[in-house]
This record gives sequence, structure tokens and C-alpha cells, in this order.
Amino acid sequence: MTTTRKIRLAALLSVMGPGIIAGLSDDDPAGITTYSQLGAKFGYQMLWVLVLSTIALVIFQDLGARIGVVTRQGLIGLVRQKYGARSGTLSASALIIANFGTLTAEFAGIAVAGELFGISRFITVPAGALVVSFLVLRGSFANVEKVFFALSAIFISYIVAGFMAHPDWGQAARGVFVPSMPFTHDAIYLATATLGTTLAPWGLAFIQSYAVDKRLTRDDLKLLRIDVWTGSLLTGIIGFFVVITCAATLNKQGITDITDASQAAQALEPLAGTLAKALFAIGLVGAALLAASILPLSTAYSVGDLTGQPAALDDGPKEAPLFYATFGVMTVLASGLILIPGLPLIKVLVFTQILNAILLLPLLLFMFGISKDERLMGEFASSSRMRVVYGAIIALVATCVLALLWFSLKG
Amino acid sequence: MRAMSADTISLMSAPTKKPIARVVNTVERAVGRRDLVLARKGVRDSVVSLAGLLGCPVTNEDGREIGRLVDVVVKHGQDAYPPVSGLIVKVGLRRSFIDGARIAKLERHQIKLSSTTINLTDYKRRSDESLLDADVLDHQIVDVNGLRVVRSSDLYLAPLDKEIRVVGVDISFVTFLRRIFPGALGRRATPQHVLDWATVASLADTSGVVKTSGSKTALSQLRPADLADLIEDLAGREQSALIEMLDPELAADALEEMEDEELQGLLRGLSEGRAAELLSRMEPDESAEVLRDLSDEHREDILKAMDTKMAKQLRQLIAFDETLAGGIMTTHMVFAQENDTCGEALARLVENRDRDISDGVVIVDSKGKLVDHIQIIELVAARSTALLSTLVGPPYPTSVQIDSPLEEVIEEFSNNRGASIVVIDEKGKPVGRILADDLVDALKPEEQHGLSKGTGALS
Repeated sequence: MTTTRKIRLAALLSVMGPGIIAGLSDDDPAGITTYSQLGAKFGYQMLWVLVLSTIALVIFQDLGARIGVVTRQGLIGLVRQKYGARSGTLSASALIIANFGTLTAEFAGIAVAGELFGISRFITVPAGALVVSFLVLRGSFANVEKVFFALSAIFISYIVAGFMAHPDWGQAARGVFVPSMPFTHDAIYLATATLGTTLAPWGLAFIQSYAVDKRLTRDDLKLLRIDVWTGSLLTGIIGFFVVITCAATLNKQGITDITDASQAAQALEPLAGTLAKALFAIGLVGAALLAASILPLSTAYSVGDLTGQPAALDDGPKEAPLFYATFGVMTVLASGLILIPGLPLIKVLVFTQILNAILLLPLLLFMFGISKDERLMGEFASSSRMRVVYGAIIALVATCVLALLWFSLKG
Repeated sequence: MRAMSADTISLMSAPTKKPIARVVNTVERAVGRRDLVLARKGVRDSVVSLAGLLGCPVTNEDGREIGRLVDVVVKHGQDAYPPVSGLIVKVGLRRSFIDGARIAKLERHQIKLSSTTINLTDYKRRSDESLLDADVLDHQIVDVNGLRVVRSSDLYLAPLDKEIRVVGVDISFVTFLRRIFPGALGRRATPQHVLDWATVASLADTSGVVKTSGSKTALSQLRPADLADLIEDLAGREQSALIEMLDPELAADALEEMEDEELQGLLRGLSEGRAAELLSRMEPDESAEVLRDLSDEHREDILKAMDTKMAKQLRQLIAFDETLAGGIMTTHMVFAQENDTCGEALARLVENRDRDISDGVVIVDSKGKLVDHIQIIELVAARSTALLSTLVGPPYPTSVQIDSPLEEVIEEFSNNRGASIVVIDEKGKPVGRILADDLVDALKPEEQHGLSKGTGALS
């Protein structure tokens, strides 16, 4: 019996990953910047938004994993099959735009990190794009992925920094459990961005296509769920500590509007002192490269899913032109956009996450529809209780988006 | 002349770049190219796009609109091109069924019916019917010619043999994009990359069984290994549907070619009855290996649905540890006794010819103990009236005990350089054989799970 136990452990270790990758990539430059803004501007008050976002992330990542394992189809292909050509194209477009926005944010993160050391973005961004393309297309991605992974794990240092900054735990607890917020444009804007960066569209499509691509079976589902839950909760925990660190340092010092990266890096000073900048920059680059290598891949996969011929890296450009075109166009355009002179990077980072939240709506609705389809999901179809939960989360995202729209129109 | 012949040679050698083993044009062989209706000009010119028709008005004889088209029902039977058996039409808020016999004309923008008063009934799915929009359009289908799984972008209908039938499937992305546009632009039939219906296997139906004779013939021409690839490429429900529609013997062959993990997932999607049927037809050692990895409950359900004799045999095999001889052996053997004739032995082998391991007979004495293993070549060379006892003699077959560890089996194999060894129980009775390929399977390192599998599209 020891042999089977050994095999189980090996299986766990190798399945472990996609959920955690998706989770840590949610703590990408856009995520860290958004959480920093949330803490700097509103202190502990809006921690509950992050808590809700994390719950939403756990629930929908779990659903995505389940849909992938049970139907053995990617999200976009499934939408096309169930809802037809227009819905399929709509969901694919939403995903492409959201992923493009997020990829832009990753390159913005690389630019921000470089500028902390005084290196021009005209050097760092093209270099980042080249490194990512080379590694992914040459297929040596799996090993390098681990390096990026380790670099982005630097953000776990926020947990230590959080304790060293001596935050007001009472107020933090209040922020977690008592939902309150100023009814202003800024508050709604950051709440929406927090939702959009935590429950990112690409993560949902990624976890599902991962399950399909790796041919995970229903037996693997338990392990995959452990992984997804771990990854999602880790995202929330890191986010929580970023917010309280910024609340205890920046907000306390009266820096309530982060306009450049060195301000965001200051939050790490209680931990790292003068090394804060370096620590922040390394984490930023690691997370950005990790996400920037997965995003175009995941998008290209979804496009292939729409056409009905999911392509793979094993195919050459001739066999899978659409796959390589998607990959190339996304990377070139996203990195090119960041090179527009005078672009306010921090604003770009947060804005792309607003876009995420908006584009999330159709995707969540489709996932909701698929989850209750018994012909597709069989015994795994969602119960009426879960449908209420899914509905509530979708309503929450819709409320944020509508409130933001109202504020924007009001001027 | 010299230059020309050089050209010819290079042309001939060029195709070797592609794997030679791949069987292409299977359908042309099975059906004959001329029989594919899409090749006929009359049919090609009269096709109507199904995707374009959906949502279009359905009018009665007077030209008055009755409702809008929701779906088209086709009946699967012996025909290679399934005829339309009815329409599902939205009349007011209600979905009603209109019998296919009422259709007078199918146009690009509307469907005209042949009478003024139409009988509207509620539609109930019948097992031999499928709905073209709900079950086939945008779903995965198997392109048997191209050996791949694709999504259908559009279906084409055309009058053929006095009925309106599905004649082709469009799988092009351009056609898919066309459907996004509203109005006439989106409705036009734009045959881009169209597969003849007889060359695809559509896997749609509630019951999972589609009896499309055309696809069945086409699929039966495939090699088991190619079929296994196709099965692995399909999504859950479609995958089960394909297995259900295959000839069980062919399906069992294909299943033997599949990875264990994949096979377990597949079995979960099948009914116990079907799973039992397929596993019974597979080589016992392969069946046992898969069954061993299933959950206890699922395994019991399948074994219960099996023939009791087969179930008993498999239970025995499952009970053996995979690291012992009994756990990797196959129990299928052809027995004979010393006083049988060569002719009888050969006839027995021919009876079992669909088992690919029937390479000889195992000779046992009156108590059932192992005497010898005689190769088929020796039987062929001898006179058919000769007794088997005349062939018995050294070299005697290598044998191992049923509980011998794997290391010992390997040892025996490498000492004797044979293609197989016989496994005997404690009384010396042969209970199975281990063939070289069983040993290869047993020695193959456990497939690394998760990250190393899959197409590699996602790291």
C-alpha cells in the first residue's frame, strides 16, 4: 500500500500549481498597485472589499476547475457550443480585451520596477517582451516558470512587513467585518478595481483550459481543488497584508495618493529599510514576467478554443498560425503601448483592472449558465444553493460597475 | 528525360515526410468518392445554411407567418444523409413541433409549408432523432478523413432523394465569423471548408446513440491507434457518444491503445453495461489493470454487469499484485492435449484468431499440468493428422510461479530470450502467459501525472 501512497503524493505535487500560479499572478503589478492604493487611500476601512473579492475568487476558480474537468472543454468553446456564434465571439472578445489590458499592466509593472533603479522603460520593456517570448516559444518555459514563481513569491514578504509596521489590528478587524465605505467616485473606483484584479477573467479561463489541456480527470479534481483554494486564499492573504502595510505606513504618514512606484515601495521600509525599493522591484518583475508569459499563451489557447482547434506549442507556426499570431500581436502591442511617452503608469495599472471587472460580467454569466446545465455537468451541476451564491457574486460585480458608471456620468 | 525522371523521384519521395502509417482517404475507400453527394453539382448549388435559417419565418401556404424556426429535427437511420423529420417553431411563446412532411420549400430566408392549417404539437425527443442546433451545430464532430476533432461552424441542408437532408458540415472559421453578422450577410451559405456528412461522425443525441450508418462504416476503417487518438481528443459527453456508436469489438481494440488514466475517465462516462461489455472484449490483463485502479464501488458495478465467468477471471487477476507474475499475465490461452492432432489444434487457434496472442497452443496432460507450448509455425509445418505428442520435446517453455516477483520474470525472460513465458499455479497447472509486451507495460515507468501530460499548450 505504500506504493499507492507514494503515487498519490507525487500526483498532488504535480497537480499543485495551476491554482497557485493563477493566485500568485493575481498578485501581479496591477494587483499590488491596486491593493496599495486601497490601503493608502482608505486605510483599513475597505478591507472587506478584498475579503469579498477573495471569496468570489475561491468560488469561481473552483467552478472553473470543475467545468474543465467535467466537460473537458475550454470556457470559450463551451460558450460557443451552448450559446452559439455571437455569444462565443462576445466572450472570446471580452477575454482578449481583458487579457490585453492585463498584459499591458504587466509591462507597466516591468517599467515601474526598472524606473525605481533609474533604468529607462525603453530598455526594460522591450527586453521583458523578448525574454518572455523567447522562453515561451522555445519551450523551456517550465523551468523558468519556477524562477519567476520564486521571484513573485517575494511579495510574501508583505506579510512580514505587515507585522513589523505595527498595524492597528482592531481597526483591521473592523475593516474586515464591518462593510463601510465613503460613497465617492474614488472609493467605488478602487473597489471595482480590487474586484477586477482579484477575480481576473484570465484566471478563470486559465484554470479551466489547464484542466482540459492536462487531461485531468474527476479523480484529480480533489487535488486540483486543494490547489485552487490554496492559490486563491494566498492571493487574498497577500492582498490583505499589502493593504494593512500601506494603511499602517503610507496612510498614516498622509500619503493617500500613490502617483509613483517609489511611494508604493516605501510601504516595505519597516521590513527592509533602505532595501525596500529593491525588494519591491524584484517582486514586481518576477510577478510581471510570470503573468506576462502565461497571459498570451492562455489567450492564444482561448482563440484556438473558439475556432474549434485548440493549438499547442508542439505545432509550428504553419500548423497553428492563429495561435502564434495571437501570441505575437498581444505581446508587441501591449509592450508598445507602455512606451508611449508620458503615460501615467500607475493609472494604467489600476485602469486595466477596472476593465477586467467590466469584462468579467459576461464571462461570469456564461459560467453560471454552464454550471447549471445538467446535460453538460451531469452530477456536478450546481445546486440551487450554489446558484444563489454565484448570482450574488455576479450581482456584486454588476453593482460596482453600474455605480462606477453612474459616478463617471455624473462627472 | 533525365531531368524529368529526377523530378518524378523527388515528387515521390516527398510524401515520406508525413507519417506513412496514417491511413488517409479511408472514406473514399469505404464509400467511393462518386457516392459523396457534395461532389454533385446539383446538390452543391441547392444547399441552404442551417445557421442562416434559424430564427427565420415559417409560413403557411398563403404566405402567412406561423412562427419562427428554433431548431431542425433529423432522423438517424440507415441513410448516410439523415432526413429532416420535423421543425421546432416558436409560435407566440410556445415551442411547437411541425412534421417534416409539411415542408413545401426550404429557402434561404424562410420555410414554406404545404398546407394552410398546421397541426402544432409539443415536441418530445425520440431516441433516433437529434436537434441540429442544440446537438450538432458548434459541437465537436469527428472528421474521419482528416483524423481530427473539429467544431461544426454550419450545417448544410439540401433536397436529396425526395427529402430534405443534411449533406455537409462546414468547419471553417470564416463561416463561423459570418454568422455573427445580422441579416442576409449572416444567412448566406458560404461553403468554405465543407465536409460531406458521410465522412464525419456527429456524436449528438440525448441517449448518446447516433445510428449514422455512413459514419459507422467510415470509423470502422480506422486503425485502433488512430481511433484511440480521436477518442482522447473528444470532450466528455461526445466521447461517451462515440464509444456507444462504435462496434464493440473495434471500440475494445481502441481502448486497449489508450492510456490508463484516460481510460479510467472514459469508463466513468459509460453505463456499467457498456463498460462491462467492452472490458470483456479487451485482453484480460489490460482489463484487470484498468479495473484495479477504479474505485471499489465502480469496479463492483462493472463486474456485476459482466458475464459471471468473465467476472470471476478478472477478479482473480485484479487480486494479484502488479509486482507479481500473476498481476501482469494474460489469462487467455489455447489449450490442447498430447493426443489431439495438429489439425485440431490449428482449428482451435483459428477459432480464437481475433485474439492477437494466439501464437501457439499450450499442451497439458490429463491432470491439467503444463507439458509444452507449441508454436503455430510447428503446427503448420507438421501433417494435420499428426498427434501433438510427436511435437512435444525440448526446448520446453520457460515457466514461473504465479506469485513470482517481477524481477524473477525479467530474469527468466533475459535468460531464455523467448517471446513469452508460461505462468503456472502451485499444482503446476498453466494459468496464464506473460508476453514480452506485458513485461514492457509493467516496466514502463509510471506516467508522470499532471504537468508532463497534455498538449503542452499551457506550459
